[in-house]
Amino acid sequence: MSYSKENVESIVNNGISRRSFLKGLAASGVLSSFPGGILQANEDLNTKIPYLGEKSYQTFRNACPRNCYDTCSIKTYVKDGVMQFIEGAQESTYTRGGCCVKGNSYVKRVYSARRLKYPMMQVGGKGSGNWKRISWDNAIDIIAKKLLEMKKEDGTLLGAALTKYSGNFGITHYGIEGMFNSIGYTTRLAGTPCWPAGIDAQNLDMGDMWCNDPEEMKDSKFIILWGVNPAANSIHSMKYIYEAKKKGAKVVVIDPVFTEAASKASQYIQIKAGTDGLLALGMAKIIIEAGLHDQKWLDANSKGYKEYKAYLDKEIKLENVSKITGIPLAMIKELALSFAKAKPATIWMGYGMQRHTNGGSMIRAIDAFVAVSGNIGKYAGGARYGHLSTWGFNYAALSMPKPEGSVGYTGPEGAKGDVAQGKDAKSNYTDRFLNINKTARELLNAKEPKVRLLWVACKNVFAQDFDRNQLIRAFQQLDLVVVADQFFNETAKWADIVLPVATQFEEYDVNVSYWHYWLTLNEQAIKPLFEVKSDLEIAAMLSKRMNQLQSGSCTFPQSVDTKAMMAKEFNPGIYEQFGIKSWEELKNGPVKAKAVIPYADGKFKTPSGKFEFYSDKALELFGSALPAYLEVRKPYDKFRMTSPHSRWSLHSQFQNLEWMEDVHPEPYVYINPDDAEAKMVKEGDTVAVFNKQGLLRLKAKLTDNVQAGTLLMYEQWYNNNIYNVNELVDDTSSDMGAFKTGAPGVALHDTFVNFRKL
Amino acid sequence: MQKAFLVDGSLCLGCNTCAMACKNQYHQDKGILWRKVREIGAEEYHNDNNNILPTLVSYQKAPKAQMPMERFYFSLACNHCENPACVAVCPVGAHTKDPETGICKHDQTICIGCGGCVKACPFGASKFNEKMNQAEKCSMCWERQADGKTTACVQSCPVGAIAIIDLHDPKYKEYANAAPIGIDYAINAETKPSTRFIHPTMPKEVYRLPKG
Ligand code: SF4
Ligand code: SF4
Ligand code: SF4
Ligand code: SF4
Repeated sequence: MSYSKENVESIVNNGISRRSFLKGLAASGVLSSFPGGILQANEDLNTKIPYLGEKSYQTFRNACPRNCYDTCSIKTYVKDGVMQFIEGAQESTYTRGGCCVKGNSYVKRVYSARRLKYPMMQVGGKGSGNWKRISWDNAIDIIAKKLLEMKKEDGTLLGAALTKYSGNFGITHYGIEGMFNSIGYTTRLAGTPCWPAGIDAQNLDMGDMWCNDPEEMKDSKFIILWGVNPAANSIHSMKYIYEAKKKGAKVVVIDPVFTEAASKASQYIQIKAGTDGLLALGMAKIIIEAGLHDQKWLDANSKGYKEYKAYLDKEIKLENVSKITGIPLAMIKELALSFAKAKPATIWMGYGMQRHTNGGSMIRAIDAFVAVSGNIGKYAGGARYGHLSTWGFNYAALSMPKPEGSVGYTGPEGAKGDVAQGKDAKSNYTDRFLNINKTARELLNAKEPKVRLLWVACKNVFAQDFDRNQLIRAFQQLDLVVVADQFFNETAKWADIVLPVATQFEEYDVNVSYWHYWLTLNEQAIKPLFEVKSDLEIAAMLSKRMNQLQSGSCTFPQSVDTKAMMAKEFNPGIYEQFGIKSWEELKNGPVKAKAVIPYADGKFKTPSGKFEFYSDKALELFGSALPAYLEVRKPYDKFRMTSPHSRWSLHSQFQNLEWMEDVHPEPYVYINPDDAEAKMVKEGDTVAVFNKQGLLRLKAKLTDNVQAGTLLMYEQWYNNNIYNVNELVDDTSSDMGAFKTGAPGVALHDTFVNFRKL
Repeated sequence: MQKAFLVDGSLCLGCNTCAMACKNQYHQDKGILWRKVREIGAEEYHNDNNNILPTLVSYQKAPKAQMPMERFYFSLACNHCENPACVAVCPVGAHTKDPETGICKHDQTICIGCGGCVKACPFGASKFNEKMNQAEKCSMCWERQADGKTTACVQSCPVGAIAIIDLHDPKYKEYANAAPIGIDYAINAETKPSTRFIHPTMPKEVYRLPKG
């Protein structure tokens, strides 16, 4: 393989160098306000940009569109067309004036010399490192011709596949799926690598995934942070947890890792990974036996409580619960009883817990415990996981009709899809859905027709998907891989064409959260830099070219204005929910949805209309009607590996930025001192961590934040380091996910490895 | 009045939002942080690599801290000393101490880049920017404060772990001589640094799985 880093970087950096970019700005008079240092042709924005007073800036509303609980509302300060700094919006009580370490690096992200600046083509073949700058017209022409050629040869466009996930959760970004809808029936990598098992679990139990407002936690009397680490991953929630604690609430963290959140809790309880469901079942048994369950609520609102109780009576032995979870029985009892006595009490369940082969069953067991304690449907209570109740937009950019005469999938599985995939009710055809969590395998195996073109957007496949070796093979057998991104990442290295994409500051959009209840407008704050284009504009260009080549071959609008597209997403339901008359009001700041306490009316969208301890659907799909204990995956190597999210990155974003390297330069593997001693590994030693999937080399840190028998490495993509923890993860599925998201999740945290000193 | 940072290690998440908020506001070059989030027990403050020469202050030994790795922190910037060495040493008056607020300001338009302040500061708070050949440091966002805002770091901290207090206000007397644990902060330095600390503690109950 002749990939040459220098070659790529010189192309990435030189085309429009920072110097000529700045020259352009100077010519337009923009630079007169900059301190002298910035004119240097180095990759950094130089010290010091003085603060000039609120009145000296133009301000814009923006949102952080990343896959983050907090979805911050941002206020962007612009002077002479250049972003100077950002602040968290003061109007949102949730964002409360500040973003996180990642959000505060946005200025650097926008103006980073490492950004993709113009379309490029890898002329030497995938992975060759031999790149050539091409024009947008040229790039779009190649793609359009390839699509039409495939359609002609295959009689369908099922050979064109789209993989898109959470790189940008802005509503208009569903226009990327819209682009694929608009060319015909295609292949989609469907499902979610993130939270599917838990989504299914909550839907089975309550008919929805719906959580109480996190801001209510300030009034909770007892909070269990169960496998969730808001001190790193939802820092804006911490103020409510602190407030509750200050008012006397007990905050308990149950986690295999002594996390940042654990260090700030009242109590930390370490548990063996994958046994949380059993603990919840034991806790339920304890409070029922003590008569602390909410019989009245259960009678009125639940289905199958009797069967559930019979299961606890018969199958759950408290001594076993203690033995298997590793937690002393007295501590479990104390925890269960004090939770049941505090009202309101709440549990927040993280997404890591359901990334096990028994993940969905564990979320179901915890839901059941919260229900038994009578905390569902209560202010400041609830079994919290996430919600999509503020996401009722029009999805106008998504909803594109198929071109006339489109032929699609009629495979043995028949019609299959969910709302987000734009299913056509009037047609006998569907798109073809492949499991996003087995991307490599599915791309390789798809037949009739083979996948020949892959479009990657809002996603860094090589950083986030599993089984790297197979991925390389899968990419190599594709005729054309198009990667639309902001940075030259590992996936781009395996592309044929890369397209530079706008940041949220260069386009319009609208954003909501899957955790809090705020709605934020995202305005275009600056003109797009270099030759970058928004995903919607790229779709429009493709449509224009395809229609030139073959009239009617693409239904996507041939020119778009992101502002108009954003405006089309609003509807009376959203206006009603947020108490506004027009989206224009959002220019004054974010607004919050009218307060609703989930399930307070006792209405559940389950088949029975009640909370279902016993779910026929669960029996049908997953073989167990009750949230019964399911043993976790058996180890296949010496050590369990856990790969949580770090504070420094959101999946593969942010850690690659120059500024982030200043606060967190390199990855480590965290090892319990006992395990390290056994392998003669000392602090700072370089070790190899390996398994049947791959091998990573990195420095060790020794800490009993991780339990013996477990190695911890954060999931991150570095600009200057080949480290990628997902290279060790195989694609073994979690138990649930197929019900609501189209595919099961991945049992990421059931990865096993070994290590040795190098 | 002596404006000062009160940093609360019991709330601090170590999230580095404050340090990045400062970069967001002022665009410090790669490699330079005016505010740094320091891990308790892990770092040697006086070895700050931007402090190009060893300083003359002998550091008091950091009180021992048996804190878990990467969990407990203090966020530190310039300490806006009552007798600032940077002000004393600067030959051109680029460093000044505001008589009203006690904020120690640095003015880059005056700075000639002699580096005296960088050597004199016992805390490595004044940094040397080799590209610009000038010193630079936290000036407690005095421009923002004059504009009715709080500092960028204070505004961004998600949990209120940094506050700006008046050290001369008797209500903060209890913090007067509280040296931070686990960080060799020269509280006895002749410069009389103003930063004060609230110490973190471990959770009351911690259960770890037994060995084996
Ligand atoms: S990553 Fe999360 S916390 Fe950080 S700015 Fe974005 S939404 Fe806010
Ligand atoms: S922003 Fe606040 S919580 Fe985060 S590191 Fe700074 S002081 Fe600590
Ligand atoms: S900490 Fe250093 S730079 Fe800041 S006022 Fe004191 S002597 Fe000056
Ligand atoms: S007060 Fe201002 S200059 Fe000083 S550390 Fe905070 S943000 Fe930076």
